Amino acid sequence: MLKVSALSVTYGGLHALDAVSLDVQEGEFITILGPNGAGKTTLLKAISGALPMVAGQIEYRGRDIGRLPSHARAGLGIAHVPEGRRVFPTLTVLENLVMGSYRAAARARRAETLETVFALFPILRERQRQVAGSLSGGEQQMLALGRGLMAQPDLLLLDEPSQGLGPRIVETIFEVIAEIRRSRRITILLVEQRVVEALELCDRGYVLETGQVVLHGDREALLRDERVQHAYLGA
Amino acid sequence: MPTTLSRRASALLPFALLALAGLVLTFAIQERYHHRILTLTLVWATMGLSWNIISGYAGQISFGHQAFFGIGAYVTILLIVHLGLTPWIGMLVGAAAAVLAAVLIGFPTFRLAGIYFALATLAYPLILRIFMDFLGYQEVAIPMIRERAWVYMQFLDPRAYNLLVLAAFLAVFWLSHAIERSRLGYWLRALKENEPAAEAMGVDTFRCKMAAYMLSAAPPAIIGAIYAHAVLFVVTPDAVFGLLVIVQTLVVCLVGGAGSKWGPLLGAAIMVPLSETLDMTLGDRFPGIQGIVYGAALVLVMLFAPEGLYWRFRGLLVGRRSAPAAALQPIASPQPDAAAPRAVATDGTPILEAHGVSKAFLGLRAVEDVSFVVRQGEILGIIGPNGAGKTTLFNVLNGFLLPESGEVRHRGQPITGLRPNRICRRGIGRTFQVVRAFPHLTVLENVMVGAFVRDAAEPDARARASAALARIGLETRADLLPTGLTTLDLRLMELARCMATAPELVLLDEPLAGLGRDGIEVMMALIRRLRAEGVTVAIIEHTMHALVRLADRLVVLDHGRLIAEGPPAQVTRDPAVIEAYLGKRWLRHAEGLRA
Repeated sequence: MLKVSALSVTYGGLHALDAVSLDVQEGEFITILGPNGAGKTTLLKAISGALPMVAGQIEYRGRDIGRLPSHARAGLGIAHVPEGRRVFPTLTVLENLVMGSYRAAARARRAETLETVFALFPILRERQRQVAGSLSGGEQQMLALGRGLMAQPDLLLLDEPSQGLGPRIVETIFEVIAEIRRSRRITILLVEQRVVEALELCDRGYVLETGQVVLHGDREALLRDERVQHAYLGA
Repeated sequence: MPTTLSRRASALLPFALLALAGLVLTFAIQERYHHRILTLTLVWATMGLSWNIISGYAGQISFGHQAFFGIGAYVTILLIVHLGLTPWIGMLVGAAAAVLAAVLIGFPTFRLAGIYFALATLAYPLILRIFMDFLGYQEVAIPMIRERAWVYMQFLDPRAYNLLVLAAFLAVFWLSHAIERSRLGYWLRALKENEPAAEAMGVDTFRCKMAAYMLSAAPPAIIGAIYAHAVLFVVTPDAVFGLLVIVQTLVVCLVGGAGSKWGPLLGAAIMVPLSETLDMTLGDRFPGIQGIVYGAALVLVMLFAPEGLYWRFRGLLVGRRSAPAAALQPIASPQPDAAAPRAVATDGTPILEAHGVSKAFLGLRAVEDVSFVVRQGEILGIIGPNGAGKTTLFNVLNGFLLPESGEVRHRGQPITGLRPNRICRRGIGRTFQVVRAFPHLTVLENVMVGAFVRDAAEPDARARASAALARIGLETRADLLPTGLTTLDLRLMELARCMATAPELVLLDEPLAGLGRDGIEVMMALIRRLRAEGVTVAIIEHTMHALVRLADRLVVLDHGRLIAEGPPAQVTRDPAVIEAYLGKRWLRHAEGLRA
């Protein structure tokens, strides 16, 4: 479904991503691991078009999307939930969610999706008339994820959805993600610092370090890998 | 010291070169008309520099700077007409009047955020114009005085005016230079980038803005008075309070680049001769076309150098200093002096107390009747579900928010209602959930903003900031811009900035959020070391496995209320806390640990 080949991204002449390649099948759940500064966020941004690439190719369903602007990629069904709660602070919760569903495929089923999102995050239903800027950090995070789901995406790019959330909400978030995964309708690329949970959910994973893929494999292989155990699982 | 000497010299050199260039031009130029262009160039460069102090450095946009220009011109001329006072003294009176006028607008508007200041400045010259008309000063001519003409600033030789304007320009250029190097300059840049963060780092933003505005009001009055003598001869409201004055000032700054002493000079040196020459050449043959060419030049500059020519050239020469940390070596972890464990005894003295604090937003009760103490030398964890009011509580403690009821005491004294910068100066520092960097300041300069609270002199603050960076292991990042730094680097930078204010208590809002395993260990080692050095820590955090190892005590908030308090082992077994916050998974995990 998604094929990234030899992708390079630079900031000010220095490589943030250096010839990264990865392959994602329809319906797969991929997790991306790596320390701070490894380029995980950059990778998601390059795929969604938020950052330009300097070399390589991004193929989505057989189509070269590497030069498309981000709104065109969103139109093809790629939804990016960036880290750090990028909600529209002066719009209400409901308006934020509706903003997520302007893609033709999503607009038709807006009411239905909205119900699903509210069922997943009841607090958002309670607060739907409140402006997003007045939500707490964690609620904004839920709103950002909810907005991503409103797009009825085929490929969902999740950047640290659990960041800054309390343990119980994190549980909820991971339950939501597991739920999405069970349906197998949405392909997911997840960047997460909560490695245990992320690995539990994923089919396969990639480990990035200083802008390069240093390891990839299926869940069992990664869980068995000594380096992963040492660096990320604390074994 | 040789370093300070060479710093002095490097500061004096451009100043000396500018003075020399001004003198050479003054005496090399032969035609009266060219003298006029030189005078105008320096007049608008000076106006630009003045505007730049409040709007470039401090980021408070003034649309009415001609008010001060006009006040200077009118006060000076009216003093000649009515009292026969020499303009040399009159223009100082004009400058004082302009500063007073600045205080009158600044005082009510600088306490409000955003656009009020700009709106007020827009109205000011309009009011003054009407006022002058009302007083019957539609046209005030400077009386001709033949004998002792120099006493009345009346010269036949245009070079005299050139020199006069040159002196004024050099003075304001030097003032700008001094501001850029001073504590005020750093603080202005910081508050321009992020005002709440600056306040929390001990910057009295209101006073800084007032100081900048007063400093930027005096020179236009002087230059207005000189302009009246050198160019106008007859002062009208339109000529000194009119749109043309502010438009020239803005054009000079936008073309040259705001935020640097070189920008307005560069802008004036290009745009003023250009418009004058166009008037003379093209304008003579095709009347009106000079405006079109001038406008086109302006559009071109805006397209190719939207930040101004100075920043464009500088960017080409220096290159951007932001770099992805991915390409840098991972930071050496800050000498992890084997985690000084709970050895530090807390003597139980309350350092900070909250008594019945409540805060609501539009009827939503964010914090309700919360009382707790932070004890000297402890690490206090504050936990609770998202939206429980933890950050709101921090905002009340550090002065961002005023509680509806209740009181906060620091070392027994009430601090409720104090502004954040006062609370910071008392020794209470804080960091933010989403890092609030000053993006156009380097990492070192970011930290210096905090260091200036304790050291007024720039070299001292620089040394303090460098030391704070070194202690945290971030010295290799000192000269980078925050853009492109990793989450860990940014969180460390913010911690260093907070530590540079020399706090005895720090409020850390989710310092571990977004950090990987290694990052969490680095940050935890640092927090433990802070405590070992005698700093008390209150920390909001969701990373429970880390917090239970770190904190001496936990307090738990839920729906704005305090629901539990005690040592971590006890609190994390509390059924109410598990129900509200930790969840079943945590329970299973904890039982697994116990088994």
